[in-house]
Amino acid sequence: MNGHSNFSHASLVSSASWPRWWLWAAVGMTVSLSWTVPFVPWWAALGSWMCGVLTLTILAFFARKQDESFPHEDGEYLESHETKNVLEQVDALMAHSKDIELIPQVDEVLQNMAADNQRRRLDDLMHRWVDVGQRYGEAALVLRREILNVIKQTEQAANTIASSFEAVINKATIQARQAMELLEGTQGAANDGTPQSLKDFIQVSDERLNKMADEVVRVADLSVNMVRELDGVQNRTQAIDGFLLDVEKLADQTSLLALNADIEAARVGEHGRGFSVVASEVRRLSKRSHEFSDRIRVHLKEVRTGLSKTYGDMRTLSAADMEHALTIKDDVLSLTRSLEGKNREVAETVSRINEISKEIAQDVQNVVVSLQFHDITSQKLNGMLEPMDDLRRTLYHLMQETVNLDKGLLKNLPGNENWLLRMRDDVAAGGEANSGKEGAQKTLKFRGATGSGPAVELF
Amino acid sequence: MATILTVDDTASMRQMISFTLNSVGYEVLQASDGKEALKLLQGKKVDLVIADVNMPNMDGIALVKSLREQADYKFTPILMLTTESQESKRQQGKVAGATGWIVKPFNPEQLLTIVKKVLG
Repeated sequence: MNGHSNFSHASLVSSASWPRWWLWAAVGMTVSLSWTVPFVPWWAALGSWMCGVLTLTILAFFARKQDESFPHEDGEYLESHETKNVLEQVDALMAHSKDIELIPQVDEVLQNMAADNQRRRLDDLMHRWVDVGQRYGEAALVLRREILNVIKQTEQAANTIASSFEAVINKATIQARQAMELLEGTQGAANDGTPQSLKDFIQVSDERLNKMADEVVRVADLSVNMVRELDGVQNRTQAIDGFLLDVEKLADQTSLLALNADIEAARVGEHGRGFSVVASEVRRLSKRSHEFSDRIRVHLKEVRTGLSKTYGDMRTLSAADMEHALTIKDDVLSLTRSLEGKNREVAETVSRINEISKEIAQDVQNVVVSLQFHDITSQKLNGMLEPMDDLRRTLYHLMQETVNLDKGLLKNLPGNENWLLRMRDDVAAGGEANSGKEGAQKTLKFRGATGSGPAVELF
Repeated sequence: MATILTVDDTASMRQMISFTLNSVGYEVLQASDGKEALKLLQGKKVDLVIADVNMPNMDGIALVKSLREQADYKFTPILMLTTESQESKRQQGKVAGATGWIVKPFNPEQLLTIVKKVLG
């Protein structure tokens, strides 16, 4: 008892005295300022020292004040303070009387002290409980709002993705179909003989070109035949030349014969005059025969010249025709080969496009599966709301009961006083939603999503 | 080609189902819950119904029960497409008169196979 009493007095003295650090700081400052005396004027050093001492004194004064005004912040200190009060009372009792009859009063004081302590602890706990309730209530409201926002935002995003995806796939399908049409167009067969595809066009033009080339060759052959015929005609004109020489010889002989007849007629005199007339007529005929022969030769020469020119022209013509036809045929042939090459490339590209379309179809399947994520996640998030609302509802009722017990608790809390009201309003709104069919179903959804079983089952 | 009604409260799900079924030429109608589905089916005949189980206003099981009471839809195939995979839920669907149970997420190829099978 005495020990406790001493401890109590010591603590009283210790809490009432100046802090020890003030003395040490004052001494330290004096020493450090005295060192500066040789370097600065004495009044400056003294002034600094006085300012320092004044500051320290003010600080120490406030430190003392604070020590005295907040003795309940620390639980341990509170306990020692309580103990101090009780011990003071006990000391007072012991000082006044040493009578054993006063001992029951000590018990009563101790019991009062314990009850008092218990009440303070309860108060503290209640404050903390309401504080936690308020903080959780606010956090739950924020969480609820955020979860609903997330569901809404993911829904919007999923809808946009799904629409864009559908548009992309539709366009890809059209593209693939058009590519296939192009493939059929370039590779397909002609039904009515007219070229419908590039392939048909190449085939038909090749056939026509071959036909044309054959015609040109045939015409060239005919030209060669004609040239041969012209050779024969020329030979025949030479034979006519020979005949003309024969005719001229005959005319010469006839003329000689007429001269002889004329000589013989002159010899027989008057009786031969008539014969002389015949001889001169024969001579005239022979002369005319010569003239005819010359004129025929002239014409024959012209014919031969014309024939020879025609012959030359025809040879040139047939050779040029053949050469030209062959050149054109070669050119068009290389052109069609190149077209065929291009056509093959087109066919390869289009079939590659077709393959890509098949690959896209496979990717589409994966995307369709993945795009269902929103439905699943939103159901899981909705499932989270239900237990959270349940917890908040329970908390609201507990808070309400607590506040009903002590109206002052609500007023002591920082922040606005309407938080409990807001919590109730939101709970009421949540309660309405949850009392409806949707809320109950969302819970089931949550549970269902965690179940197991075959993915597909036909009953 | 057959006409199919898809009932789901999630727009993107309806879109994916429609997209999958449209791609092979089925005509697809959409409804966002059981009530809307019943309203849409008044005086109209579809060859198949694909419905979600958990929906606001009227759920999939209630929709199946309601349809089975109508003479027109007594024997029409109804597939449930849902995240539910619990045996008890399946049994509820079976008892209500559903033709089959598909658990989400569905695979397009798989869905088309099932649809072809139930349409005969």
